[in-house]
Amino acid sequence: MITVKNLSRHYQMGPTIVKALDDVSFTIEGGEFVAIVGPSGSGKSTLMNILGCLDSPTLGSYVLAGEEVSHLKPNQLAEIRNRRIGFVFQSFNLLPRETALENVELPLIYQGVPLKERKKIALAMLERVGLEGREKHIPSELSGGQRQRVAIARALAASPSILLADEPTGALDTKTGVEIMELFHALHKEGSTIILVTHDPGIARQAERVIQIQDGRILKDLPSKEWAA
Amino acid sequence: MKAGALVENIRMSVRSIASNKVRSFLTALGVMIGTGAVIAMLALGAGAQKSVEGSLQALGSNLLIVYSGQPRGGALIRRSTTNIIPTITDADIEAIRRLIPNLITSLAPESSANGQAKFGSTNVNVTIVGTGVDYPLIRNVRPVTGSFFTPADLDGKKTVVVLGAQVYQDLFQNAGDPLGQKVRLNGLSYRVIGVLERKGNSTTDSSVFVPITTYKRYVSGADKYALVNVQAASVEVMREAQSAIEKELLRLHRLPTMDSADFYIANQLDLLNTLQGVAGTFTLLLGGIAAISLIVGGIGIMNIMLVSVTERTREIGIRMALGAKTGDIIAQFMTEAIILSVGGGLIGIGIGYGTSWAFSKFGGIASEVNLLAVILSFGFSVLIGLFFGGYPAYHASRLDPIQALRYE
Ligand SMILES: Nc1ncnc2c1ncn2[C@@H]1O[C@H](COP(=O)(O)OP(=O)(O)OP(=O)(O)O)[C@@H](O)[C@H]1O
Ligand SMILES: [Mg+2]
Repeated sequence: MITVKNLSRHYQMGPTIVKALDDVSFTIEGGEFVAIVGPSGSGKSTLMNILGCLDSPTLGSYVLAGEEVSHLKPNQLAEIRNRRIGFVFQSFNLLPRETALENVELPLIYQGVPLKERKKIALAMLERVGLEGREKHIPSELSGGQRQRVAIARALAASPSILLADEPTGALDTKTGVEIMELFHALHKEGSTIILVTHDPGIARQAERVIQIQDGRILKDLPSKEWAA
Repeated sequence: MKAGALVENIRMSVRSIASNKVRSFLTALGVMIGTGAVIAMLALGAGAQKSVEGSLQALGSNLLIVYSGQPRGGALIRRSTTNIIPTITDADIEAIRRLIPNLITSLAPESSANGQAKFGSTNVNVTIVGTGVDYPLIRNVRPVTGSFFTPADLDGKKTVVVLGAQVYQDLFQNAGDPLGQKVRLNGLSYRVIGVLERKGNSTTDSSVFVPITTYKRYVSGADKYALVNVQAASVEVMREAQSAIEKELLRLHRLPTMDSADFYIANQLDLLNTLQGVAGTFTLLLGGIAAISLIVGGIGIMNIMLVSVTERTREIGIRMALGAKTGDIIAQFMTEAIILSVGGGLIGIGIGYGTSWAFSKFGGIASEVNLLAVILSFGFSVLIGLFFGGYPAYHASRLDPIQALRYE
């Protein structure tokens, strides 16, 4: 499903080069539930952005569903983001003036799905994340947990092959975080591939596999049981 | 782009415009004023052109005036004709008359002198004009009371007079029936047979008209005429009539070319062209100034769109993260700019119509909204939306999704 090989992402900061990612390689199969952990500034978001085709690596290869995507043009990347990837952000990133339903429709709009069908799918997704009856609300009328549910519904709308979540519970209280994690578990059971960044070892343990990175390099890549031990 | 995407873009743009109504209004205001100004100014120009044509028609139609002497400026009607040294002879008149009916329909010789008109104890300075019976027809001036003199008056050298409107007002204070009254011109008594309509030009209104034969007998002994009013048979033959008259008179006066001629012909066409040229320049000038304001309006749109792109950087980032392509972002912001400028343009058309109407109604200025001007300025405002919305839209589409998502 995902194969990265010798992946690096460098930032030129004046005279020095910051190696946000430094020679990272791994493979993630379809249906896996992977947690990425590491201290702040270790390169987790950088890795997620590349996996999510929001960014391109400086060096190395990234093969997604059999296609090398590391050198694609912006519009080709947009196409992949639109059809293959569902991204959930720490800060939700909902459009503040659009309703929950309209937010969920967004990826479908860019796919050119006709209005009626789009509404139907979006409604089903909102129902899936437990938000039936809230489709007319705008984000400011929803709680943090509800907003993140809208964001997850939006990530699911285009039926992507991978769900990427960068600290999806980071902005939520513990109880709401647990509810969101339950949703991810349910999605995983239904067959979704999930890659999730977290600070919280307790959340990392809930995944099947943990990739721990430090200073842009992979420190450990273990099944969660072994990692926790 | 798919048709559905266009509908989607319009929906998003309307939402974004509606969510910031005051700003959207101010943004479109520049285009409104610009479009309105273009339409109103062109209407004013068209009105000026119309009224120029109208006042020229009032002088008479297809008018040629054969003047004695050397050309004096470009005026068709000379303000004062009393100081012309007459050079046009009876033989000239006969030669011109022979051009009837192919080239001309009628003619009326004219000579004039300063004089005094007296009625009762009232004295007025007037221009005494001697002319022929066709003068009212050629110069488009009708008696409102009584009638102009007849061929019989002319043949009999009758002492009859037709008063200009101002002369009538001054002598009779607009009171009483002037017909049959006796008015003294330079001491000799004339019977009033008519009063002319008011033309609004002092030359006609402050003149009195007597048969040319009477004029030659009692007012001036000269047997030449100062000028001849000629009506050409049609607009098409005006030039031909002019050159035919020139040829005849040059021959009769034994002169080689018009350069040395002791007469010249003023042609209504020339004047019409000159005045239309002036009115055209006027229109162009006004329209040009208004068009500049339209461009300034466009710059206003660009300014606000750039601010809007900056403010909505995060929104752009989110849309890109969800799969919006360069073209989608460009289309979204372009649609917004075009809706603003088209909306502004439509309101501007209303403003233009209103202003033009107000000019005519309250300013007494002729103005006429031209459909072409409406279409043109509206099209122009759409182009302005495209052009000035283009850069901000392009700018938005070039944002880096990650940078845009991080933007606070
Ligand atoms: N646009 C950028 N320009 C320069 N350096 C950057 C840029 N983005 C990230 N970095 C650097 O790359 C390194 C990794 O950043 P990254 O955001 O991936 O960390 P992270 O693991 O997600 O941290 P956190 O847990 O705090 O979110 C950091 O040192 C950061 O300063
Ligand atoms: Mg991070």
